[in-house]
Amino acid sequence: MIEFTVPEVDYTRYTNRQLAAIPLAVLAVAILIIAGWFVMTGVPVNQGIAFTGGTEVQVAIDGPEAAAEEEIRTAFDAEPESIRSVPAQSVYVITFQSGGAAELEQQADAAGLDVRSISSVSASFGADTQTLALGGLGVAFLGMSLLVFAMFRVFVPSIAVVISAFSDIVVPLALMNLLGIELSLGTVAALLMLIGYSVDSDILLNNHILRRSGDFYESTDRAMRTGVTMTLTSITAMIVMTIAATVFGIQLLAAIGTVLVFGLVTDLMNTYMLNLSLLRWYKFRGVAR
Amino acid sequence: MVAIRENWRVILLVVFLLISVFALFSPTLGPDDPGSGDDVAAQGSVTNLQYGLELSGGTRVRAPLVGVTAEGVDFGGTDRRVVEQEVAAEIDGAGPADVIARFGGRPAGGQDTAQPQPGSETSDTVEVTAEGLTTDELAAALNAAGYGYETTREGVTETTRQEVVRILENKINEAGLSGGTVQEVTTAQGDNFVLVEAPNQDASSVRQLVSERGTVVIEAYYPANDGNYTRDTVLQQEDFQSIGTAQDGSGGPYVPVTVSESVAPEFQQSMRDSGLAQQGGTRCTYQVDPSSTEPCLLLVVNGEVTNAFGMSPGLAENLRTGGWADSPVFQLQTTNVSEAQEVSINLRAGALPAQLDFSEESGGTTSFISPSQGSDFRTNSLITGIIAVLAVSATVFVRYRDIKVAAPMVVTALSEVVILLGFAAGIGYPLDLSVIAGFIAVIGTGVDDLIIIADEVMAEGKINSRRVFQSRFRKAFWVIGAAAATTIIAMSPLAILSLGDLQGFAIFTILGVVVGVLITRPAYGDILRSLTTIDR
Repeated sequence: MIEFTVPEVDYTRYTNRQLAAIPLAVLAVAILIIAGWFVMTGVPVNQGIAFTGGTEVQVAIDGPEAAAEEEIRTAFDAEPESIRSVPAQSVYVITFQSGGAAELEQQADAAGLDVRSISSVSASFGADTQTLALGGLGVAFLGMSLLVFAMFRVFVPSIAVVISAFSDIVVPLALMNLLGIELSLGTVAALLMLIGYSVDSDILLNNHILRRSGDFYESTDRAMRTGVTMTLTSITAMIVMTIAATVFGIQLLAAIGTVLVFGLVTDLMNTYMLNLSLLRWYKFRGVAR
Repeated sequence: MVAIRENWRVILLVVFLLISVFALFSPTLGPDDPGSGDDVAAQGSVTNLQYGLELSGGTRVRAPLVGVTAEGVDFGGTDRRVVEQEVAAEIDGAGPADVIARFGGRPAGGQDTAQPQPGSETSDTVEVTAEGLTTDELAAALNAAGYGYETTREGVTETTRQEVVRILENKINEAGLSGGTVQEVTTAQGDNFVLVEAPNQDASSVRQLVSERGTVVIEAYYPANDGNYTRDTVLQQEDFQSIGTAQDGSGGPYVPVTVSESVAPEFQQSMRDSGLAQQGGTRCTYQVDPSSTEPCLLLVVNGEVTNAFGMSPGLAENLRTGGWADSPVFQLQTTNVSEAQEVSINLRAGALPAQLDFSEESGGTTSFISPSQGSDFRTNSLITGIIAVLAVSATVFVRYRDIKVAAPMVVTALSEVVILLGFAAGIGYPLDLSVIAGFIAVIGTGVDDLIIIADEVMAEGKINSRRVFQSRFRKAFWVIGAAAATTIIAMSPLAILSLGDLQGFAIFTILGVVVGVLITRPAYGDILRSLTTIDR
């Protein structure tokens, strides 16, 4: 039988500096990756066609993959930007940087391909979507920060929540770059969800430590037992969902799942190392440790 | 009575669940008839749920309108039609149909001499909807025609956009694309688009239907006195009183039409003058050799001659004696059935004042999802969701090892989804992948909250009094409320900004959190209490 009990961590063995160092280092590396990406490619994150404009065609072809790719390349006049296959569905996802949906549809029909879907976004519309998505993300983050400050009314615990939430978004973004996942409407949705998930466990921890009577480590322990259960449950659900959605070729759900798994794992680290060390420092200010 | 007072949260949850199940399954709340411009196609399924394009298959086209507009034009009292003709004459490739002059933003009668009001929406405008015209060219044309103006800009007026939406709706209904919709949308940047959605249709047929202006005119083609052939427009779209459906008769496909009484005598006269109504009718050989045919009637669709036909002896006789004008019906003959259908649709729906711009740099989007892909997505996303819920249940069981804690947790989380689905069915909100992503977010935060409640309530052994339970429950609720408030704040910008693609996600996440915090999660607390409290 699988054992699932939240481990009790003996925090007294580590200093605040030691605890905070790891998440801060991870955050710094993530920011470096994004900055480096920006220097190399001109954009902080790889963007999908919803933001850059372009056309995505999905066709169903039976048979071996190499032959299918060959068939795809001969069918279209324009050079595909990428061809991906969806396992278990014999569906191929082809993206084009340019080319109208009408021409591509004609070419696919002429070649006798079974077109499953076509979606085409013009560059200027993509740019509008990008502004909106980034604006939405920014406003959401700002709103969350203001609300957190309004709820706790003390600086250090509030900023701890905000920093962890920031890191929970930035680290998955850097991982997306490394793993070649493009920013799409689905991943933006996932990043927004992360704001919600991230503050859940942070608020829980802050609440237990600041608003309840009892020893610091006892409160931490109780908050961790609940918080880690929450996050692990979500991670399990998201891993399962990502696998299922990938097999079925539902890209939107797979993208959301992947980004959420990254973010939730980052959140575990940030909440119980970064946020916790800041809270301990706040609680025992001036006490040498 | 005590039981009701103590368990009112559970009772409230049950009531909401019953309402949702009613909304989901009651046949009395089924989707309205599809012809009424309803949002999506009615699905032949057991539930009242409606699916968006991603889950049902179909085509969505979002495109701006072709056109340039001059605002604050000084007509100087000239008749609207005269202005249109004069401006059109100054522009290559634009006919009077491509120029729209409006008084105060409305098409007014010719006598209206309203003063232009600078900067206001009700200023007098001239729009040119011919393709490839720049604002500078419009400015030059207005100068040449001698009309002053304030500014020229890309795009068309609000009135024209509304007209286009209305006519496209007619066209889609006439073409029998059930459940198709047309909307005007504005992006956050202030760009205007026309959004056309047609379930179960492929992209090319939809684009063809909506991209044509749909002008239909009947012209008389006859040799004039000097021997050269002349073309005269004898009937326009608005001259028909009623238009029948396309028929396939023994003499080939045709559309039966009735000419309105006011125009009928005029038409009769022009038929006599042009020689079309001569004794014994005419035999048209326009397709073989246009320069040696007897007089013809030309069917001109979108500026191109699609068919030419002569006059039957009986109809010619009727026209000559003047008896025809008393019952002015005749048949528009076409070369094939699909053309007859197109003519019939265009005549009924009317001609578009401006055309949709499908060029690559226009800023539009097209998406087509094949119905098989849509139904695959529908089933597979359901399976994915169920698998995710099972994963949550398994984790919770493993963690608590107490079915009394875990089972109600899973049931409560699922009931949130049932309530949301009931809501979607009740208001007819079409389910799309983004809405399903919203459901996943709701289950995720829901289970988080239930874990908080469970841990808090069961902390340090059994609860032995209601008071202890209440105080612990209230403590747990502070955290849940705070987390819910942040989620709502985080999602609200996307819910309010209308871009569509992520709006469904944001709306359903917010709704789910609200339903969860107010109804389902408190009920879980009550269920847990009745299962774990020793002394009630």
